[in-house]
Amino acid sequence: MAKTLIVAEIQKGALRESTLELVTLARKLGGEVVSLVIGSGVGGVAEDLAKKGGGKVLLADDGSLANYNLDGWTRAIGKAVESEKPELILISNTPIGWDIAGALAARLDCGIVSDVIRIEPDGGELVFVRRMFNAKFDARLRVSGTPRIATVQPGAAEAYTGSDSGSVAKLDGVGGDVRTKFVEIRVAPAGGHDLTKAEIIVSGGRGLQKPENFDAVLKPLVEALGAQMGASRPVVDAGWLPHEYQVGSSGQIVSPKLYVAVGISGAIQHLVGMKSSNFIIAINKDADAPIFEVADVGIVGDLFEIVPALVGAVKAAKGS
Amino acid sequence: MKILVCLKQVPHKDARLELAPDGKWISDANIKFEINDYDNYALEEALRAKDKDPATEVVVVTVGPDRVQQSLRTALGMGADRAVQVWDDGLAGADSLTIAKTVAAVAKAEKADLVLMGLMSDDTNYSLTGPMLAALLGVPHATGIVSAKVDGGQVEVERELEGGALEVVKLPLPCLLTAQTGMNEVRYASLKGIMQAKKKPLDKKSLADVGLSAGAVAPKTKIEKIYTPPKGAGAEILSGSKDEVAQKFVGKVKELGLL
Repeated sequence: MAKTLIVAEIQKGALRESTLELVTLARKLGGEVVSLVIGSGVGGVAEDLAKKGGGKVLLADDGSLANYNLDGWTRAIGKAVESEKPELILISNTPIGWDIAGALAARLDCGIVSDVIRIEPDGGELVFVRRMFNAKFDARLRVSGTPRIATVQPGAAEAYTGSDSGSVAKLDGVGGDVRTKFVEIRVAPAGGHDLTKAEIIVSGGRGLQKPENFDAVLKPLVEALGAQMGASRPVVDAGWLPHEYQVGSSGQIVSPKLYVAVGISGAIQHLVGMKSSNFIIAINKDADAPIFEVADVGIVGDLFEIVPALVGAVKAAKGS
Repeated sequence: MKILVCLKQVPHKDARLELAPDGKWISDANIKFEINDYDNYALEEALRAKDKDPATEVVVVTVGPDRVQQSLRTALGMGADRAVQVWDDGLAGADSLTIAKTVAAVAKAEKADLVLMGLMSDDTNYSLTGPMLAALLGVPHATGIVSAKVDGGQVEVERELEGGALEVVKLPLPCLLTAQTGMNEVRYASLKGIMQAKKKPLDKKSLADVGLSAGAVAPKTKIEKIYTPPKGAGAEILSGSKDEVAQKFVGKVKELGLL
């Protein structure tokens, strides 16, 4: 691999952890590493990335790039690609990544693999590994031609911790018109249902079949365990429970001592939100459900029979 | 206003998926298909615009073999005005860019004010086709939106970020939006709608019909194989009667010091 371009992301004024994960992946592939930092007044972040393994860091710094916008970022990445001619472009699979990566691939008329969890060199080629069918299958993909783009799932690699010193070079001509106007970031009100501090969470999914079953079937287990109730995205999308119950990448990221997943198959977005729980027990009728991959303990069977039995046993244990 | 909605037909949520003999895709024999869930929200948003202003035309388009006509008829039954299916043997093994180029050929001819589709599909989970299509059409886009308000020549949208945060942006029309799930409450096709759908136009086109050749849309990204992920440490599966399982569950909770 000759040259990899990393598109950096900034969060709360500092480098995003996922950018340093891209550094790890790029350096593992060998060859030259070039990084691109985009923003306004972000020279310090570029210096930081140069010290943290980002290699030659290109700085696209312009007032019009203060907030993420499609046109500004496309222009900046286009300039970097033009001057550096990378063979691989790495972007984090984040809300920015999935907004920009496909558009960039179409403009460059190049191959792309999104949400990659692994990149394996194979002779002079690269194999990209990712999940498909909501994590039921893994897929190996190859891309012909260069450049090629991969968006990488946050957490796919360890953040680079070396201290190799690189350089910073300013990228010119990155300002200009943007068609999409940023208005504001709205942070949803915290609500009264904070799951981030819960010791035990019992979450329900689509397997509960209807909203009434959250009260009838799940709530007795929640109460018996002294837990808080959580939910997967489809449950919230269907309006069965409010958004503040949602565990997952777009809901709450939780790490309780015990997480009980009931009737949740384990879509990747849910796993991201709960996989750092200390102990995970999953109940699902499908023995192949991806949730069992992250669970410590699994119960395969009909939740409508099992959950009431659990409630009885927990109550009996408490009474003894 | 004209709204183009791009749909994908994917295996039914509850379908038991098995690998095809070549290991490059799933076997599509004996499984049911349905409209990709994310796309349902995009379609619903278009139909709501039509409810508000009956002069709005909603055109649904998909790339796929003849089984997709069933999903197009479902969309017509829900209220879309007409449907376009593009299929050609040259599209087998298509990657996201192949699909985007094919749909772009249709979209250029349609000259829609707004293009709507889902953030990603439930089969490949790529989330690439929307931004690719927008780039090919030369229009701006926003991905993962949970609300859209059209006002004159522009649309204000809320994009879902991480951890419950939303980004509000304004885009000029024409533009493309990809819908996040939960954006609205998706309607069902009524019996009357299903009857009317049979009479609505469904045009089947080949690559040549939309002015493309297989070479022009040849995939650059290829699936080498798909496979069941290797089982990691995996979960310790509790076995026995439901009461035995319940006792073991209690034992685990006690070990954690939580009971």
